[in-house]
Amino acid sequence: MSESRGARAGVAIRGPIGAMGVAAALVTMAALILLAGVLLVEAREVLDWRFFLNPPSRVAAEGGVGPALAGSLWLTLIVAAIAVPLGVGTAVYLAEYAPPTRLVKAVESVLTNLAGVPSVVYGIAGLALFVRGLGLGPSILAGALTLTALTVPLVVVNCRKALQAVPDEFRWAAFGLGASRWQVVRDQVLPAAAPDIVAGCCAALLRAVGAAAPLLMLGAVSFTTFAPGSPHDPLTALPTQIFAWAARPQEGFLALAAGASVALLLLMAAMHLVLFANRRRRKGTLT
Amino acid sequence: MSAPGPALPVLSTERLTVRFDGKAVLKDVSLEIPFGQVVSIIGPAGSGKTTLLRSFNRMNELMPGAKTAGTVRFQGVDLYAADIDPAEVRRRIGMVFQKATLFPKSVFDNVAFGLRAKGVEGDLHDLVEEALTVVGLWSGGAEVLDARALDLTAGEQRRLSIARALALKPDCLLLDEPTAALDPAASAKVESIIHALRHECTIVLATSDHTQAGRLSDLTAYLDSGRLMEYGATQELFTNPRNERTESYLTGRLP
Repeated sequence: MSESRGARAGVAIRGPIGAMGVAAALVTMAALILLAGVLLVEAREVLDWRFFLNPPSRVAAEGGVGPALAGSLWLTLIVAAIAVPLGVGTAVYLAEYAPPTRLVKAVESVLTNLAGVPSVVYGIAGLALFVRGLGLGPSILAGALTLTALTVPLVVVNCRKALQAVPDEFRWAAFGLGASRWQVVRDQVLPAAAPDIVAGCCAALLRAVGAAAPLLMLGAVSFTTFAPGSPHDPLTALPTQIFAWAARPQEGFLALAAGASVALLLLMAAMHLVLFANRRRRKGTLT
Repeated sequence: MSAPGPALPVLSTERLTVRFDGKAVLKDVSLEIPFGQVVSIIGPAGSGKTTLLRSFNRMNELMPGAKTAGTVRFQGVDLYAADIDPAEVRRRIGMVFQKATLFPKSVFDNVAFGLRAKGVEGDLHDLVEEALTVVGLWSGGAEVLDARALDLTAGEQRRLSIARALALKPDCLLLDEPTAALDPAASAKVESIIHALRHECTIVLATSDHTQAGRLSDLTAYLDSGRLMEYGATQELFTNPRNERTESYLTGRLP
């Protein structure tokens, strides 16, 4: 497998299209390195371990992302706990069980459209529904529910693609051996689609973690002296913290915004690690 | 379902019509498959061989847009009646598909899958080894059980897919192009398995190689554009076809 890949890459580099591909890859990598470099240079004065634990401060030099980091962790956990089972379950129903009726097709197209709706729109809906309607106020819970609403359609769309990528022959082979639909799904389809399902869920969660706009709409706080300890504490998160600091005119806060961006990237990198581990496992067991 | 009497046909269709999205792929097919016989279905590509085979164990209904009219009986019982469990039908009437489509698991897990789905409990090794013995994949060494199914050669994969169906001890076995894309040696092995199996169960095979039908089957049915053109003793049909289309097909003169 690796041998044929290497051969293919060798062929690809020779042609003009291959050269363009290599150039595009280099530009992308350079942009990524540049971005990380700029952030690290900007944040060089604030980045130390206290920065990740301290609360924000009126004095720029003493500020930290402790509460915002804790808020983002809360949001990620709650969103994952609700959106993954709900989204995967819906995708399994739509891909494996639902008859191709007009209603089901309508639901599928609504979900696909919802997955493309700008996140700020979810913010307005969340403000009306969760903050005011349910009286949750601008809390972690209201933020998590709003981000869940944004994430579920993405999880459904990604996981449905993963399930549809499993060839029908697999299902027929299992049905042909007298398996029930649930046995076919549980024993053959889900294991075969698992790597893509995990990847699809991670991609959706990454979008939720990075979303600032809907949380700003809900009224996320950017100045809190304590880290949220329960879902009912005031809503604070890394992306909104970055936005708040970057908007301040005083000297020193831009460095804090850069530092918070580094913290956000580290959080996302940690989630990417899950993807990597998952990909290695796939190489180990399949094909 | 009671034990089959020798006089009763195991499988029979009556005016069987199968449509996919409104287009009829099988038209008014009526035939009887007697107990303990090997029956071949031959015909040009697209003549409905696979669809006829799949209608015997209710596989067509898994395809979107499929509609079945007419009746299919197994030992006299209407297979498409409301109270019939299709999973039970597929256990009694096993099927080997044109593509082996093994599960990306061990040889043991592939053969055991149907048994587990049926709810057979306890140690499955005896049943798995028995099925592997019939297809010549069992030589007494346990290492073959743990081998990954996808590491086997094409011929071995085909034989494993037959073993997988045999593990359930079906009354009937449906084989769709059992030797397609196999080299002559591997084909010969599969054919000898089919030949040996005729004492165990009734066999219906679809093949686009009519010489194979001649070698293996007691009865042969010729399908053309979804219609059953001719059905009878293999030797009679090959040496003295009554239908003009059958003769053209067998002699390679079909336009």
